[in-house]
Amino acid sequence: MIDLFFVGTTLCFFALSVVYVHAIEKLRGGGRG
Amino acid sequence: MTTLAFLQLGAFFLVLMLLTKPLGSHLARVFDGQRTFLHGPLGWLERGCYRLLGIDPAEDMKWTTYSVALLAFSLVSLLFSYGALRLQGLLPLNPQQLGAKQMPPDLAFNTAASFSTNTNWQSYSPEATVSYFSNMVSLAIHNWASAAVGMAIAVALVRGFVRRSVEGIGNFWADVVRGTVFVLLPLSLVGAVVYLALGVPQTFQPSAITQTLEGGKQLIALGPVASQEIIKQLGTNGGGFFNANSAHPFENPSPLSNFFTLVLIWAIPAALTHTFGKMVGNERQGWALFGAMSVLAIAGVLICTSAEQTATPHLSQAHIETAATALQPGGNMEGKEVRFGIAGSSLFAAVTTGASCGAVNSMHDSFTPIGGLVPLFNMLTGEVIFGGVGAGLYGILMMAVLAVFIAGLMVGRTPEYLGKKIEKFEVQMAMLATLVLAVSALAGTALASAFGTSSLNNAGAHGFSEMLYAYVSATANNGSAFAGLNANTPFYNGTLGIAMLMGRFLMIVPLLAMAGSLASKTPAPSSSGTFPTDTPTFAGLLVGVVLIVGALSYFPALALGPVAEQFQIGSTH
Repeated sequence: MIDLFFVGTTLCFFALSVVYVHAIEKLRGGGRG
Repeated sequence: MTTLAFLQLGAFFLVLMLLTKPLGSHLARVFDGQRTFLHGPLGWLERGCYRLLGIDPAEDMKWTTYSVALLAFSLVSLLFSYGALRLQGLLPLNPQQLGAKQMPPDLAFNTAASFSTNTNWQSYSPEATVSYFSNMVSLAIHNWASAAVGMAIAVALVRGFVRRSVEGIGNFWADVVRGTVFVLLPLSLVGAVVYLALGVPQTFQPSAITQTLEGGKQLIALGPVASQEIIKQLGTNGGGFFNANSAHPFENPSPLSNFFTLVLIWAIPAALTHTFGKMVGNERQGWALFGAMSVLAIAGVLICTSAEQTATPHLSQAHIETAATALQPGGNMEGKEVRFGIAGSSLFAAVTTGASCGAVNSMHDSFTPIGGLVPLFNMLTGEVIFGGVGAGLYGILMMAVLAVFIAGLMVGRTPEYLGKKIEKFEVQMAMLATLVLAVSALAGTALASAFGTSSLNNAGAHGFSEMLYAYVSATANNGSAFAGLNANTPFYNGTLGIAMLMGRFLMIVPLLAMAGSLASKTPAPSSSGTFPTDTPTFAGLLVGVVLIVGALSYFPALALGPVAEQFQIGSTH
């Protein structure tokens, strides 16, 4: 159960990091517009 | 400072400067995909990796693709290590019969996050916790991969300055393979043999049991140390084979091995400044960065060594001789190995924290407040004093962008760096990367101040320094410990693990975004109004920006820790 918590935390962090990448790319695109 | 300390510092920088140009030129050729003298003996390995992994090295990636590849690679390798650490009891090369009991989930998470981010913070005692297999596979894989990833990110950012009107910043997989095969592997093979010659063991035998002079029994931990030690230092990883890290005589047997280790830690970070100069077509640009880093480094070493050599008033009050003589080193020798002395320990502390290595040969917790402030401040600069393998170069380039922005504001011109206009987006990304580090380090320390004080061995300002050091070390991906803090608790393992991930990936992504933005720009021709960035003036400005950003962001926290402690010592004098 505790293993699932830490594996889940890791997966969430990396999923949010991918969202972070796309948010920054959107900011870059918006800045140019 | 003693004459010996000055001589050691001079010799160290001389060797470093002699290595920078040849190694930096080699790195530039490797990451440009040019043929080097190593392609003959090792080219088959590079081609084999591409074939095995289905990589087309010529495929150029946009910054978003590059970032997602980096994140995917790091996620998979982190989860692999987590699983392998938890299952170490079922895996081979485990003569001490270590299992999941020694590696509970929170510790496995912290350790896997630590090694995959090049931090190598160790909340555990290695010889009593991890098997040889865990050391050589589950953890060592990151010693190679995280260093190669660091170099890849730095080179991708440099390509942003070099390329014109394109979206691509290179191929992540090719950069990692090239860095591993043509840089880390050959240097590690040679360096491991040197470590063996210097007395570092390499064996699969279990720990030895000997009889002491008093008739008792003593367990002497052994293992494949030399092969771990070389990549630990060369890759600025820092995770020790033994709990005492580089203070242990089997990791760092003599002053000569200490000097060799110091050179290894800064060899690639220093060389990468020359790589930068080669890739942008102006070697003076690289030397300007090298100069700025050197000024910060030498200042740190001088302050730290002087503080440790001066020691504290308490020693004088206790009638202890604190002057260096022919028979004793004087100063503050608490927590230092006699074979390294104050000069060898202070230089090591400044080098390992400047470089995000995290190996230690002395107890930083036992340093004087000002002596301990130097390693802390080195990490707070964002690891730009030569920095980690790759991390130092991309960190100092982030500071260089801020420096030209500030210079542009002062003279009222659009800032440029290497012909590329530094505009709103680039400054936003540089600030985002800077703020991520501050938030992670300071918020973590604040949380620990509320919920983690039961792990402290010291109260007051020194106890605060121990917590601050832990979160700064984790965020900066350094990994050295101040000691005095029991970090092997679910709270610290969890929060420090998150701080390591934030400090690594949330900083790298904005810098890759900056690389993508810069690569898509067309460089403007230089004119009489262009601010030169290959001069001592620019190096001075860069030093100023690093100090100001560090001071403004962290001075309040430093005031509560080492600065307050220094005043407390003064008041008891």
